[in-house]
Amino acid sequence: MDKILKRLAVTSVAAAAAGGAMAAAGGAERVFDPAPGWDYLWKEVLIDISVIGILFALMTAYLIWRYRRTPDNVVGSGPRLSPAAAVGWVVIPTFVFMADDFFIAANGWALWNKYRDVPADRLEIQLESGMYSWDYTYPNGVQTQNELIVPAGKPILLRMTSRDTLHSHFIPDFRVKEDSMPGRVTYIWFLPKEAGKEHLVTCAEYCGVMHSYMAGRVVVKTPEEFKAWYETSGASAKKSS
Amino acid sequence: MSQHHVAHHDAHHGGHHAHWDTSVWPAVISIGILAWSLAFSFHFVYHQSFAGLITFGLGLPLILAGIAGWTSEAMGKGEGLSFGAMGWFILAEAMIFMSFFAYYWFMRLNSPAWPPAGTPELPVVYPLVMTAVLVGSSITIHAAEHQMDLGNKSGFLTWLVVTIVLGLTFLGMSVYEWTHLIHGGFTIATNSFGTTFYSITGLHGSHVVVGLAIFLAGLLPALRGNISHGFWRTASLYWHFVDVIWFFVVSQVYFW
Amino acid sequence: MNLKEWIFTTDHKRVGVLYLIGSIAAFIVAGIMALLMRAELSTVGPTITSNPTTYNVWLYAHGAVMILGFQIPALTGFFANYCIPLMIGAKDVAFPRVNALSVWLFYVGIILALLTFFIPDPPDIMWTGYPPYSTITTGNTALYTFTVLILGFASIIGGVNFLTTITYMRAPGLTWNKLNIFVWCTLGAFVLQLIFVPVLGTAVTLISMDKYLGTHFFDPTRGGDVLTYQNLFWFYSHPAVYVIFLPFFGVLFEIVATFAKNQVFNYKAVVYAGIGGIVLLAGEVWVHHLYVSGMVDWIRVGQMVTTLLISVPVGLMLIGLVGTLYKGSITFETPMLYALGVLFLFLIGGLTGIPLAVASLTLHLSDTYYVVGHFHYVMAVAGTFSIFAGVYYWFPKVTGRMYNEFWGKVGFWITFVGTNIVFWTMMDIGVKGMPRRYYDYAHFSQFEGAHQLMTIGAVILGVGFAIALINWIVGAAKGQPAGDNPWGSMSLEWTTVSPPPHGNWPTPPSVSEEWTPYAYGKR
Ligand code: HEM
Ligand SMILES: [Cu+2]
Ligand SMILES: [Cu+2]
Repeated sequence: MDKILKRLAVTSVAAAAAGGAMAAAGGAERVFDPAPGWDYLWKEVLIDISVIGILFALMTAYLIWRYRRTPDNVVGSGPRLSPAAAVGWVVIPTFVFMADDFFIAANGWALWNKYRDVPADRLEIQLESGMYSWDYTYPNGVQTQNELIVPAGKPILLRMTSRDTLHSHFIPDFRVKEDSMPGRVTYIWFLPKEAGKEHLVTCAEYCGVMHSYMAGRVVVKTPEEFKAWYETSGASAKKSS
Repeated sequence: MSQHHVAHHDAHHGGHHAHWDTSVWPAVISIGILAWSLAFSFHFVYHQSFAGLITFGLGLPLILAGIAGWTSEAMGKGEGLSFGAMGWFILAEAMIFMSFFAYYWFMRLNSPAWPPAGTPELPVVYPLVMTAVLVGSSITIHAAEHQMDLGNKSGFLTWLVVTIVLGLTFLGMSVYEWTHLIHGGFTIATNSFGTTFYSITGLHGSHVVVGLAIFLAGLLPALRGNISHGFWRTASLYWHFVDVIWFFVVSQVYFW
Repeated sequence: MNLKEWIFTTDHKRVGVLYLIGSIAAFIVAGIMALLMRAELSTVGPTITSNPTTYNVWLYAHGAVMILGFQIPALTGFFANYCIPLMIGAKDVAFPRVNALSVWLFYVGIILALLTFFIPDPPDIMWTGYPPYSTITTGNTALYTFTVLILGFASIIGGVNFLTTITYMRAPGLTWNKLNIFVWCTLGAFVLQLIFVPVLGTAVTLISMDKYLGTHFFDPTRGGDVLTYQNLFWFYSHPAVYVIFLPFFGVLFEIVATFAKNQVFNYKAVVYAGIGGIVLLAGEVWVHHLYVSGMVDWIRVGQMVTTLLISVPVGLMLIGLVGTLYKGSITFETPMLYALGVLFLFLIGGLTGIPLAVASLTLHLSDTYYVVGHFHYVMAVAGTFSIFAGVYYWFPKVTGRMYNEFWGKVGFWITFVGTNIVFWTMMDIGVKGMPRRYYDYAHFSQFEGAHQLMTIGAVILGVGFAIALINWIVGAAKGQPAGDNPWGSMSLEWTTVSPPPHGNWPTPPSVSEEWTPYAYGKR
């Protein structure tokens, strides 16, 4: 728990800093990064279910112990509920459960929208997955395989499809995945923050014999480094085509 | 089963041996089905058509003998519950059709262009005639049931035979239409519409075949004067179901 | 003993026992597959096989056989067959021959499933069989299709049979509100089977048609659509978890009421709001398996809400179950131990399902070991413990003999410990990113220790299960005679002799006005 909180603090400071930098640079909109939002909601739901679970378990354990058979307790004497009590025992728990359900659903939905609304200022990359590689195509025609090179601080949108079976582009560090498949285009986006870092990409949808070896990485560069790489390889991509 | 057996059992715990009901026919049918499953794999998966033929050939007599043995063993000994059971069974059957339709709707509503390339114009009048024939057969089987309730055996038989003839006519028309389309180059492998068209009409056709088979299985005893009310009520319920489903087929596949 | 009267039997009790034998055999085979997988995963890189396909076939067989060959047949085959006619005071089911046909088809299905280990190119498409892989693999997809179709058909005719039996063959005086909870639960499960199995049957038929007959259901280049399969598949397979859940909860209700000598708490709420609610909601939540599959957004969010709402009927059933302990007189024989164990395991499994209902959280959790850990708790383990509880509970009725109480309890505790080691660890590494269905976790080598712990846990688990199985075999062969009603239950199945004769009672029973299967206080 502690670790999560700390990570949350760190990332939100970093995000704020990045956002500030971007606003200064070109008046870009403020970007909400879903990944820390995921950690926050996960923690919230975890607390929610832990409380329910512990209460329920304690109560069950108490009942088991309290009503064990003893010489003066040889047959059960459970209550015969009056109609009102019987209805009450349905209606009240129903409302309690539903209240919790709607609370979780509302938070889940809010986060969902952030995951699905892609910031307008973004780098859009095409991904074609296949047995067993991730093939990326940048707007200027640069192509990479199993290596997604991105600039720090810029939202990255992947438009994904597949040339054979189902695959799922999973980046655990960014808390995001979605299947790619032939005949449809799906998308995910994420916000790389720290330049110099690498993040594992792994396949999360069973796609064939070598499924567990289908991995790649996201390589985060500083905007300047990225620009340099992007332009030189863009030029050579043009030449070769 | 007589009271005697149970009383006898009751006298002693388990040890004594009395008669327990058995039937070999379920086992015979099941083994036939096992053989057919293997036949499919032999033929289509391993391309060993000879082995496929043999297993298929083994399965066929087993299944036929199983059905025949079962029918003769059980006919007329039911507890009159088959009508209620058929209701439940029809629920399951309806869901098979629902799945095909759900597939069809989902695919069609998601597809950028419809119909996919290679789809011919389907006829308009022909399916309407088929509908009329099938609806007619539903009416005639109802009439047959009515005669049965009145105790009029020959009236019953007449209407039953008319129903069977109408059913066969419907089947014949389907076969004609299929051959016509296939000759025109539109097959189950043409595109996703061909796939759905043939599988949905084929699924429905197979139900017509089963319905007719039930009628024929009951026709022989009926000709000998053995008319089981439970059997015919159940069979007719099934036939009405096959008829109702056709409305879905015709409206979705031909006219949408 | 007359073997012919067993093999060709049409008696519901013997059909039930045949179901039990077949499903336990399936459990053993699929359990061995689990141990093989755990052995393979005990180190990074190849361990006991260097061929990923071998592992994938084990995984396919483990999943498919555990669900289709073990849990569903044990619950809706053995328990339903053995108990329902006895509980409703009937001589047999409505259509005994149809019943025999279902058990025979079940054996055919199992034989097909086991052929996996003997044929060239066995299926490697996981128990979910998603296209396009299932339509392009060199593995034998047809075997999968036929296994599912035949087992599915067996359960459809079984469902028709039991719904008819329950509707029309109850003993005089046995009104709907006096039915055992188990009967109600099974009724709900069979309604679900009838509605949803045909959809599964269609789905698996379509993949084989695409693969072998040249159709284009799932081929986007000819206008087909890949995603449809997943919708059809989960439209059945989510309700399938209730087909497992409902009967196993029914078993728990019988056991808890008997060993607490208490009436079921708020019976009508359990039946109408609990079971009824589940049956009604079962068909509206399948998209929670498709949160990351590329469905349109509105349906993902919509089904997040319906999925969360499942907690209402399930919670009401749990309240009924735990409430039955209230003011009870509880004893702790082996069946009760297993049943109480399930209360805790199911709690963990159910609550860890809540994050999986939240679409946004599944963007990270989906297809990881978190999911595998969750569903093993809630279904695999809770279900299996309930099956074991039930077999122990009706053991004296079925065999007329008693199992060994001491070894029963030892087996329970060992299994309970092993379970938590394995499946808690799975959820833990899942949250940290370990994807499921991995033959090798070369780029997750930080989890090697956790995987080793799970392998040890699985061995412990295996030992616990083995003790129970041996206990049954020894008990059936030479246990002490048990008497007709060793647990002092009120329910009708205990009013006949053990084991019951053909026809169940010398004179068909009828029940009085004040009788219910749980009327303990009023004796
Ligand atoms: C007895 C102890 C068990 C152990 C040690 C065990 C272990 C495992 C393991 C290691 C996996 C593979 C995870 C992966 O590679 O993604 C798995 C998958 C699975 N298990 Fe079990 N399991 C056990 C019992 C059961 C039971 C009783 C069921 C009954 C329903 C069950 C149902 C499944 C299913 C459905 C899958 C998923 C298969 C798939 O991914 O296609 N397991 N189990
Ligand atoms: Cu993969
Ligand atoms: Cu589900």
